[in-house]
Amino acid sequence: MPGNIRSVSFVVLVCLLFCSRLTSVGATPICTNAHAGCHVLSLSNLFDRVIQHSARMHGISNDLHSEFEQYFLPSRNQIGRVSRNCHTSTILTPNGKENAQKMAREELTEVILKLLVAWRDPLWHFHHSMAHYDDFNNFSSNKALEMSDMVHELRKGVEKVAEKMQVLGITSNTVNSLTSPEALLPSESAEWRLMKDYDLLYCFRRDSNKVQNYLKILKCRIVPEHGC
Amino acid sequence: SGSPLCGHNGVDWIVVLKSRSALSLQFFSSRLRNNIMAVLSSSSNILLLLLISFLDWLSTQGSAFIMGRDHATSSAPVEPHITECISRNQETFRCWWSPGSFHNLSSPGALRVFYLKKVLPTSEWIECPEYIYSNRECFFDVNHTSIWVPYCLQLRSQNHTYFNEDDCFTVENIVRPDPPVSSNWTLLEISPSGLSYDVMVNWEPPPSADVEMGWMRIEYEIQYRERNTTNWEALEIQPHTQQTIYGLHIGEEYEVHIRCRMQAFTKFGEFSDSIFIQVTEIPSKESTFPLTLVLLFGIVGILIIIMLIVVSQQHRLTLILLPPVPAPKIKGIDPELLKKGKLDELNFILSGGGMGGLPTYSQDYYEGEPWVEFIEIVAEDADTGEKDNQGSDTQRLLSQGISHHMNISFPDDDSGRASCYNPDLPDQDTLMLMATLLPGQPEDREASFNVVERAPAPERGERPLVQTQTGGPQTWVNTDFYAQVSNVMPSGGVVLSPGQQLRVQESTLATEEKTQKKEKKHKWSEDTEDNKQKELQFQLLVVDPEGSGYTTESNAWRISPPPSSPMPGEGYQPIHPQPVETKPAATAEDNQSPYILPDSPQSQFFAPVADYTVVQEVDSQHSLLLNPPPCQSPPPCLPEHPLKAIPAMPVGYITPELLGNLSP
Repeated sequence: MPGNIRSVSFVVLVCLLFCSRLTSVGATPICTNAHAGCHVLSLSNLFDRVIQHSARMHGISNDLHSEFEQYFLPSRNQIGRVSRNCHTSTILTPNGKENAQKMAREELTEVILKLLVAWRDPLWHFHHSMAHYDDFNNFSSNKALEMSDMVHELRKGVEKVAEKMQVLGITSNTVNSLTSPEALLPSESAEWRLMKDYDLLYCFRRDSNKVQNYLKILKCRIVPEHGC
Repeated sequence: SGSPLCGHNGVDWIVVLKSRSALSLQFFSSRLRNNIMAVLSSSSNILLLLLISFLDWLSTQGSAFIMGRDHATSSAPVEPHITECISRNQETFRCWWSPGSFHNLSSPGALRVFYLKKVLPTSEWIECPEYIYSNRECFFDVNHTSIWVPYCLQLRSQNHTYFNEDDCFTVENIVRPDPPVSSNWTLLEISPSGLSYDVMVNWEPPPSADVEMGWMRIEYEIQYRERNTTNWEALEIQPHTQQTIYGLHIGEEYEVHIRCRMQAFTKFGEFSDSIFIQVTEIPSKESTFPLTLVLLFGIVGILIIIMLIVVSQQHRLTLILLPPVPAPKIKGIDPELLKKGKLDELNFILSGGGMGGLPTYSQDYYEGEPWVEFIEIVAEDADTGEKDNQGSDTQRLLSQGISHHMNISFPDDDSGRASCYNPDLPDQDTLMLMATLLPGQPEDREASFNVVERAPAPERGERPLVQTQTGGPQTWVNTDFYAQVSNVMPSGGVVLSPGQQLRVQESTLATEEKTQKKEKKHKWSEDTEDNKQKELQFQLLVVDPEGSGYTTESNAWRISPPPSSPMPGEGYQPIHPQPVETKPAATAEDNQSPYILPDSPQSQFFAPVADYTVVQEVDSQHSLLLNPPPCQSPPPCLPEHPLKAIPAMPVGYITPELLGNLSP
C-alpha cells in the first residue's frame, strides 16, 4: 500500500537523520580553550571513556582468539610451539609493574599510541581474510571488523587524551612526534603479512591487554579519583 | 608402533610411544587431525568432534598443568611434570612440580626446574630462582617475572629432561587473584509483605592486588546459598566492590562468599571466607497496616455501592426527593396560555369564545383521565317528563336511571346520550341540570320543588340555548376560575354563584326572594346586573363537606345571567356545568357554557349559597347524582351502587378511588 510505504520511508528518513546525529554525538569535540557553547570534557572523563573502549577491545580480541582456537582445534597451548614473534615485538614495552611505574607519562602514552598504530593495518587485512573461512560464522567476522574499527577509534581517543594532557601541562610536548603513523614502523610493514591468522590473533590479544593496562596505569597516576 | 587408532589397549600404546617420540606423536597427531578435518569437514560435526577430542586426549596426556590436573588420571607411570603455575598479583608467580610415579626423584634436589623466557630469539634455560622444597614449589619473584612474555618450564633430573611444550604460558594468563577481604552486609529494606528482604554486601579488594595503581582490574562474583543446602546461587560478575542480593527470605540463614578474577580472563581465584546473613521477623507494627487497608477498602466499597444505588435508582430518588410540581393545567386549554401574561386569551377561551368552547374538547381528550366524570344532561323525554313532572321536582331533577339522565354536553360530545342529539334541532326537552347540588333541608326542598314545578313549563318551550349565550359571558371577565352552583332550576339549569364575595349577597337575595318572589326578580335581576361584570368561571367541585359548601335545591338557583342575554326576562339561563373532576387540584374549566335562564323570578330562591356540594351518586351513565332518588321499582335503580353507603354520612365526598370504583 502506498500509504504504508510512504510512512515507512518517512520513518526511515527521520531515523537516518537522527542516527547520523547520534553517531556524531559520540565524537564530541574537545574544546581546547573552553569556548562558549563547547562541551568540555574533563580529563578524568576522557580517560574513563578510553579505558572502557580498550577494555571492550580486549574482550573482543579474547573472544575471537578463543573462538579461533576452538574452531580450528590446534593444540591447546601453542605458545611454545613456534617461537612466535609478533610484529610489535620491536616496540619496547614495559613488561612489569615497576617498569611501567617508572616509565614517564609521555613515554607511556607514546607506547600506547605506537601499539595502536601498529595494529591498524593488520587488523584491517585480517578482517578481509576472514571472508575466506567459509565455515567461520558471521558473528566472528563481525567481531573482526569491530576490532579493527575499535583500534582506529581508540587511537583517536588516546591522541585526544594526549592532547588534553599537554594542554593541562601534565605532559610535555614530546608526544607530538606521533602524528605520522607511517613513520613509526616502516620496517614492519611486511612482517605481519607473514603471520598466520591465529598468531595474529594471539599477538593482538596480548597487545590489547598491554594497552588496557597502560591506560589504566596512566589514569590512576594522573587522575586517580574514580575507580582506581 | 602401529597405527595409533588400532590397538584396544590405548594405555599400553601410550607407554610405548611416550618415552621416545612424544613430540613426534604430538606433531603427527595434530597433523593427522588437520587432515581429518579437511576430509571430514562436510560430514557430521558430532563424529568429528568425538574423533578429534579423542586424538586430543591422546596427545595431551603428558601435560596437564595448563588445562588443569584432571587429565592426569591414568595409572601408568607418570613422568615428572609441572603441575601448576599461578600468579596472584601479576607480579610474581609460583610453579609446583610433581615427580609423578618416579618416587626416587621425589627427594629434594633430584629434580630441578628450568625456565625459558622467550624474550629474545636466542634465549636459554635458567634455573628456578627460588626453590621451596617443602612444597615442591618454584617461586619467581618480581625481578624474574615479566608480563606478556612467554615462559616455558622444564624439569631436569640428573640424566633426563622432562619437558612438555604445553607447559608454556604468559603470566597474565595464569593470574588468579586472591579472594576479597573484610566483607560485610547491611540490610537494605524489607518487603511490605514482611517475607523477604534485600541486602547490600560490601568488601575490599584483595590486598595483594594492586588495584590503586590500575595494575590489576578485578571482577567479583558473589555466590550465596541457604545454610544447609548444597547449591550455590551465583550473581552476575561485576567490577565493583559491593553488590545487592535481592529476595532473601526472612528467618532463614544465608551463607555468602565472593571470588575474583581478572577482567577479560577466565581464571578465578579462591573463594573468600563465608559470611552469614540472617534477618528475623520484625515485630509487626505492620499489624495495623492490614487493618487500615481493610478499613480503607471497606469505605471505598461502601462508597461505590452507594454510588451505584444512587445511579440506578436515580428516577425514584428524584421522585422522592423532588416530587414533581404539577404544572398549571386546565383541561382542554393549551398550557401555554396558562403562563403568565396570557390571561385575556385564557378568559376568552374559558368563557366560551370560539365555536362552542375549547376546540380541543373531544371525546378522546378525556380518555386519559378515566376518573373524570363529566356531567351529562340529556333532554328529557316529553312523555316521560310529563309523568314525572307531576311528581316532585326533586325526583324529576334527580331522575334515576337511564331514562332521566341529563346530558350536558357539547355539540361534539357523544358520551352517554343519543348520538343523534343535535343542539340545533328543536327539542322540546329541556336540559335539566343535575349539578353538584346536595339535597338540602326539606323546606327548601319543598320550595325548590315549587320552583322546579314552575320552571319546566316555560322552559319547555325553550330551546336549548347552547350557542346563543356564547356572546354573553364574554362581557364579564374576571379572574375567578371557580364558581359555585347555588341552585338548580326545574328546567335543569344550574344557578351559579359568582364567588365567595357574593355569597352573602346571594344568600340575602335568596332569603328575600323567598318571601317576595315577585320583587325578587327585579332585585335579582338588579343583582345579576350588578354581577354582570363579574365573570363566572365556575367549576362544580365535589368537595368540602363542611361549611357552606352545600346548597339546597332552593339555593340551587342562582342567577348569573349575562346582561346581553337574549331573554332578559328569564332569570335563569341554561347552565352547562363542566365535567366534574374530583381531583382536588384539577381546576379545568372548560367553557362557559350558556346558562339556563330562569323562567320565573318568583321561583327563585336565594338560600345561603354554598360553594360546593357533594355528589351523592353516580349512575351508570356516568352522571353524578347529587340527590339520588330512593330506590324504586324501576330497574334502573342500582341498589347495589356502592355509593349508597355514602348517604349514611350526610356529608362526604367521593374520593377519586371511590369514583374509580364506580366507573363500569
